Amino acid sequence: MRKVAIVGVGMIPFGRYESESLVEMLAMPALRAMDDAGIGDRAVDALYVGNMAAGMFNHQSAVASALADYLALLPAAADTIENGPASGGSAIKNGLLAVASGYYDLVLVVGGEKMRDVIGPRATDTVATMTHPTAEYIYGVTLPSLAGMFTRLYMEKYGVTERHLAQVAIKNHNNGLLNPYAHIHASITQEGILDSPHSVVNSPIVSDPLRLYDCCPVSDGAAALLLCPAEMVAEFKKPKVVIAGFGQATDTQTVQEREDPTDLKAVRLAAQQAFAMAKQTPRDVDLAELHDAFTILEIAESEHAGFFKKGEGARALEEGRTRIGGDLPINPSGGLKARGHALGGTGVAQVAELVWHLRGEAGQRQVKGAEVGFSLNFGGFGNNVTAFVLRREA
Amino acid sequence: MPMDMELEALLRPPASQMPTYPPKWITLATGAKMVVRQLERGDVPTLLNAVRPTMKVARDYYDIVGARLYAELLGWYRYRVKDHYCLAGQVNGALVGIVNGRMYTPEIGMSYHTLAIDRGLRVGAHLFAAKMEYHLEYLGQEEVWITAESPIGFRRWMIEYGLELKEGMQHELGGASFYSLTKAIWHEAKPRLCVGSRPVPRELLAKAELEIRVADEGHILDKILGVKGGD
Amino acid sequence: MKELVAYRCKKCGLIMYPKHGRCLRCKAREFEPFEAEGDARLITYTDNQTLPWGIDDRQRFLGIVEFANGVKAMGWLKVATPKLGMKLKPHWEPVRVMGGEDVYGLVLRQGK
Ligand SMILES: CC(C)(COP(=O)(O)OP(=O)(O)OC[C@H]1O[C@@H](n2cnc3c(N)ncnc32)[C@H](O)[C@@H]1OP(=O)(O)O)[C@@H](O)C(=O)NCCC(=O)NCCS
Ligand SMILES: [Zn+2]
Repeated sequence: MRKVAIVGVGMIPFGRYESESLVEMLAMPALRAMDDAGIGDRAVDALYVGNMAAGMFNHQSAVASALADYLALLPAAADTIENGPASGGSAIKNGLLAVASGYYDLVLVVGGEKMRDVIGPRATDTVATMTHPTAEYIYGVTLPSLAGMFTRLYMEKYGVTERHLAQVAIKNHNNGLLNPYAHIHASITQEGILDSPHSVVNSPIVSDPLRLYDCCPVSDGAAALLLCPAEMVAEFKKPKVVIAGFGQATDTQTVQEREDPTDLKAVRLAAQQAFAMAKQTPRDVDLAELHDAFTILEIAESEHAGFFKKGEGARALEEGRTRIGGDLPINPSGGLKARGHALGGTGVAQVAELVWHLRGEAGQRQVKGAEVGFSLNFGGFGNNVTAFVLRREA
Repeated sequence: MPMDMELEALLRPPASQMPTYPPKWITLATGAKMVVRQLERGDVPTLLNAVRPTMKVARDYYDIVGARLYAELLGWYRYRVKDHYCLAGQVNGALVGIVNGRMYTPEIGMSYHTLAIDRGLRVGAHLFAAKMEYHLEYLGQEEVWITAESPIGFRRWMIEYGLELKEGMQHELGGASFYSLTKAIWHEAKPRLCVGSRPVPRELLAKAELEIRVADEGHILDKILGVKGGD
Repeated sequence: MKELVAYRCKKCGLIMYPKHGRCLRCKAREFEPFEAEGDARLITYTDNQTLPWGIDDRQRFLGIVEFANGVKAMGWLKVATPKLGMKLKPHWEPVRVMGGEDVYGLVLRQGK
């Protein structure tokens, strides 16, 4: 297997797009990634597009073929990769394997979603189609409500409190203020979202115990990466950042069938595989982009990925260890909470963020001297998870 | 043009006694303090400056809400709407949202519009609740009639409050069958949906009363559009 | 509970709901269908106040229960105040309208 590098990165601000079509939204970061690497008119061998539900949100299918055409990548190979909210992570995986195998040299990976063509409750419904059709979906279960049931148990078992959850939101909103690509640029306070009696309206219950500020917004957004074999990096203009490790694991579709519903087995396994392949440990990691679709997930994933012992993620957060400037900054981008969560776009945006930090290009939110980064993209309610370890190399 | 006061007297609706809405303050998610208070007829020209830009925004039916609200405020200003009132939210003097309505009969309140100029901070939800509070607790009415013009409005008010459908009847704004907020529904919903503290500390209120600051048009459009790209 | 059918692996005895093509534990392919029975104990729940398009309720309590005979399932809790560990009785009732038709599912209540 060849070692694979990321030589180009592109993103567009997350939020809401009206005048651009889905394909135009995907094209913008793709062109930026190509320019970032400086590939000029050199041919791209293959395109992988991570997208969960263009069929439902935008009434469009075969998105990768459309993008290959729009960007004049023809006759490059093109595939749309769907893995729920982890479609982005899976698209990168496909690019990684294609280059590592020696089959392709230059591969473009794009992830994106245009969710806001439909109104909020319809988006909620579309996302909920990931759940089991007869054992879950029919009840009106949503991703926030699966997360709510998980949070209730996690609080009971590990003493995580609403205050901890609010701290995740506040930290990530603060980080988002430093990120020009973030969907939400608003500093929030503990008083405003939790302590004040007025907070019941500011941060209403979405699915208890989760409130508005415990949830990611519904975002439009897209990001792109250009991959090549590590030995080719010198042909481009950027420093060498390699995908040192990758892991992916699945778990039961319904949460009820998990032996211990508070155990995110797929997160554990995906992270272990990624670290094993990279020959590194969680201790080596300088920053992590975790899938905080719900605040509880940042805490739980930080434990399951091996950064903290089970039940100690909340304490690390309280101690400020996961802030920018702490010993393990988590979600310096603002995470899904503030950067936003554009389903298929998220996994790619996470890795793009890591690349910027490893190159020292992350501007005001730069994690100083970062050499190793970790990302985790959580599909379904934890039933299909991808993880990456990135490393800057000489 | 000098006014024909005799004719004007015929056209001007007589005004009923309407108790004032006691101002309150609310901590927003950002920690900022929003003052919610009743405005006066003399404030209308300032309000119109804030409403005007929204008429250009088709997104989320801002244009319809903006145009109708503009007309209602103007009608109130020129004495053509009976028993109209307007409540507003201000943060550091800046106008962040407007709600209005009128006393239709002593028992029935007619809710008109909710316009949030600052988005993403639940300003609209706070102000809508304040207007319901005004009708049921200060005007002492039995019910408020409400109609939604946008899907978001429908979801927000009809479902969050659990309003009662008035099948086949008409609201003053026309439109589809409307909904009613009764006292019973209000008492169930209030703890969840209506917050705020009184009295407003003197300095906070003074700041709000001193000046209603209206952002410039570009800023307002930016706020309510919040759309990325387009270049 | 007649309508909630779970599956027991004929080889290793694992109880599964919903249905799988192979046993999650031993990969065997033969199952014995059986009904969820007895009281249902509440394992976890949430008060969903943001229901998806197609359900106009303001809120729904949703939860996961374990029946006395080991079947675990999600259901709609029609109770005033859910409590972890509480015992509930199963009913099979309409839970959603899809394509104009009532769809039936597990509804849980206290008492009889
Ligand atoms: C929490 C939620 C229900 C709120 O929806 P809503 O009240 O209808 O909010 P709207 O979409 O109308 O947004 C109104 C404003 O509130 C703000 N807002 C919305 N959701 C927000 C959130 N989660 N956090 C902070 N601000 C938020 C935004 O600023 C938005 O302004 P914009 O229109 O300029 O973007 C919705 O964001 C949601 O469902 N999130 C979860 C998505 C999900 O499950 N994703 C998949 C997970 S794997
Ligand atoms: Zn078996």
